[in-house]
Amino acid sequence: MLEMFQYDFMQRAFLVGIVIAILASISGTFVVLKRYSLMSETLAHSALVGVAVALVAGYSPMWIALIIAVLSAWLIEYLRSYFSLYSDSVLAILLSGSLAIAVIIISLGESFNNSLMSYLFGSILSVSDDDVFYILLFGGLSLVALLTFSKELYFIAYDEEVAQTSGIKVKALNFLLVTVVAVIISLSIRVVGSLLIGALMVIPTVTALQFKKGFFYTVVLSVIFAILSVISGMTFSFYFSLPSGATIVLSILSIFIISLVVNKR
Amino acid sequence: MNFKVPIFDVKNLNFKVDNQNILSNISFEIFKAEYIAIIGPNGGGKTTLVRMLLGLEKPTSGEVKIYGQKLKDFKEWYKIGFVPQRASHVDVNFPATVEDIVKMGRISKRKLFSKSLKKDIEAVNDAMLKMDVYDLKDKMVGNLSGGQRQRVMCARALASHPEILILDEPNTGVDVVSQNRFYALLRKLNQEDKITIVFITHDVGVIADDIARLFTVNEKITVCNDPKKMMSCDDMSKLYGIDAHLIHNHRHEH
Repeated sequence: MLEMFQYDFMQRAFLVGIVIAILASISGTFVVLKRYSLMSETLAHSALVGVAVALVAGYSPMWIALIIAVLSAWLIEYLRSYFSLYSDSVLAILLSGSLAIAVIIISLGESFNNSLMSYLFGSILSVSDDDVFYILLFGGLSLVALLTFSKELYFIAYDEEVAQTSGIKVKALNFLLVTVVAVIISLSIRVVGSLLIGALMVIPTVTALQFKKGFFYTVVLSVIFAILSVISGMTFSFYFSLPSGATIVLSILSIFIISLVVNKR
Repeated sequence: MNFKVPIFDVKNLNFKVDNQNILSNISFEIFKAEYIAIIGPNGGGKTTLVRMLLGLEKPTSGEVKIYGQKLKDFKEWYKIGFVPQRASHVDVNFPATVEDIVKMGRISKRKLFSKSLKKDIEAVNDAMLKMDVYDLKDKMVGNLSGGQRQRVMCARALASHPEILILDEPNTGVDVVSQNRFYALLRKLNQEDKITIVFITHDVGVIADDIARLFTVNEKITVCNDPKKMMSCDDMSKLYGIDAHLIHNHRHEH
């Protein structure tokens, strides 16, 4: 098993994958508890618009994806807090809208089918040194933001109105959370792929919730499950030449199913 | 006791939804260490009124002042503890122990980047002891009974050492024994700790001896300054369509 670490690209993929696992599962805890699971999917599809634009125009996909995902996150939060729209319908509208735009852009520039596949479903081969640097930098910043405001975000997830009456800046922190989630999703499209990152945000937390623990242990469990699934998913991806996003998602799904059985009374 | 500066000063408050009056011309003051019960029919605007006190709803016209400040300028929200209507209906899957929930009450007091200090731990333990939930501190809130949850939510509100506690019918669906235990705890908070209490309830008869004033809200407000002389209040309540038995249902008869 250790032979895969002889390759530089595998070392980079593992480093980035574990960082993504930590970020996705911690931010995912708040996303799931706020009943915002669909948001990660929507933002991932917005990021896909960025990838499409970047591939056609010849820019670095991660940056354009990041900008478009963050803008889309702000739009969602704006629509949610200033108009009385159902938040799940807002998400569904933006999800299909983004996908439609992405598909049109992709159809206009036909020549990049292979690289597109890796952005849709992830690839362990594609992580460059530059990617590692920026993922560590932005991932680190996102982690600091999440940990600094974890108590406030937890309170907001529990009861937004009571949090507001306790003087917590609910609107600002909601914007912060969706921004961080958008950043994390954009960073993840390299190894997990934009169509599958939603699973890595949502499933580890849902799995951890099966164990019915308090906040701290739920977060710890969800981080452990995410890291385990990234490690096993990437290993499968290496030995069977499969897209890493798909193997990671199947790994976390297996852990989820086991946890369902274990916790069934 | 200092009854000079009101905690809440409400003047000519109006609230309309689609041109329909929900609250009209509401004015009152609430002073330190008072125990006020708010009653009124469903849809009469009690909850809306309380939401406006907390800044969750903006009045169509009129003004709410809190400690002499406009709501939007008020910063010391830790002085106010709020226990919402849904206190006893918690999402059973939410990953929170009793201690997790009560700790939330300390967030409004915390300064950014400061760690959870000894003071926080003391305040959390103290609040749990006061509401008789210390023994439950490692239990998941989802597994508690309605009455236990209600006390946990109250402990959360108490953890920031508030000067005023606002409760919006937190006892819906809670059994009578738990309710009476809860009322006794509230009485203690008011009488011993001098915490101001504003309590929306359907059960005013039981706490009639504890309260200082009774507000009846049904679009308009009627303030009864001497709830022990229930006759005058009784007549008023009838005017506003509230069941008289709520008031006659006095604690001593239980």
